[in-house]
Amino acid sequence: MRAVQSAFGAALLDPRRAPPLSLTRTGGRPSERRFAVYRNNVAVGLIGALETRFPAIRMIVGEECFTGLARAYALAHPPTSPIMATFGDGFADFLRDAPGLEELDYLPDVARLEAARTRAYHAADAAPVAASDFAALDLRRLEATAVALHPSVEIVRSSAPVVTIWAMNAGEAALGPIEDWAAEDAMVCRPEMVVETRRLPPGGADFLDALGRGATLGAAMRLARRDARFDLAQNLTGLIGSGLAVRLGRPTDRSAA
Amino acid sequence: MHRRTVNAALAGSLLAALSAVSLAGPASAEDKMAGKEKCYGVALKGQNDCAAGPGTTCAGTSKVDYQGNAWKAVPKGTCSAMKTPKGMGSLGAIKS
Repeated sequence: MRAVQSAFGAALLDPRRAPPLSLTRTGGRPSERRFAVYRNNVAVGLIGALETRFPAIRMIVGEECFTGLARAYALAHPPTSPIMATFGDGFADFLRDAPGLEELDYLPDVARLEAARTRAYHAADAAPVAASDFAALDLRRLEATAVALHPSVEIVRSSAPVVTIWAMNAGEAALGPIEDWAAEDAMVCRPEMVVETRRLPPGGADFLDALGRGATLGAAMRLARRDARFDLAQNLTGLIGSGLAVRLGRPTDRSAA
Repeated sequence: MHRRTVNAALAGSLLAALSAVSLAGPASAEDKMAGKEKCYGVALKGQNDCAAGPGTTCAGTSKVDYQGNAWKAVPKGTCSAMKTPKGMGSLGAIKS
């Protein structure tokens, strides 16, 4: 039974393989044509799942190229879970190694951003900490205070202007030449119902990343200050104003504190 | 840096942040956006579909995608419209 299933699965994804021999009509031979219909539906479904999850990548490379990439990805990395929302988690790495895309070296970062957006959409809900709760903190103990982040928060660091590129191809900004081709770190979050993408200021990725790992405000600040442009007040404003904090309290990760 | 110095920096910045947030908070949505743009960038939403994909349905029955595996990536989308450090002709080296 296992052998039949794996032969069936392999033939389903790879058109070069013949349909499994055990698949016969009553008294007949395997139907190549009927199997092809099923195979086509699987391919179209998987390509469609990637189209839905990576619309900006599709815009950037064009429909024809995207379909080819998606087909090759589906063949090389078929879904391991029946939950289609997780299909494509490895698409960014696949794009990095795909021949013919070497010059579009920003593509994997855009894919990581889009994948993070889906995960944020499906992340658990959590009520943000109000500004008044921050105001009630003991100022003498701020250094040792940990800030738990919303489960949807993800950071995508990039040496390319990943947020600008994504925005242009997600219908959020006008498409045009990017004059200032500078590194951008992105943050994806869903404080309420809508998935948001934000451009982080210098050091912001280190700051949020440390907090996300359970570090205290003091430790996160020290880490972020490795970038001399890091502005603590600006980052706290972002943290509080964007509703990213869901719990204030004692550090959970002693190693990071 | 001493613990006390760190705390002082944090306290000062927290107060500044709280006043920035409270200024942005009760005002109109536009002012709120303006306040956020200064810190974590303006919120770009993008399409907010479920993004689960049609993979498990028969949504694709009318489409045909039954090609072999011989295929080469030839980007033809908006990548040529975005000027990269390598210049406008970012796709120049790709020969199909």
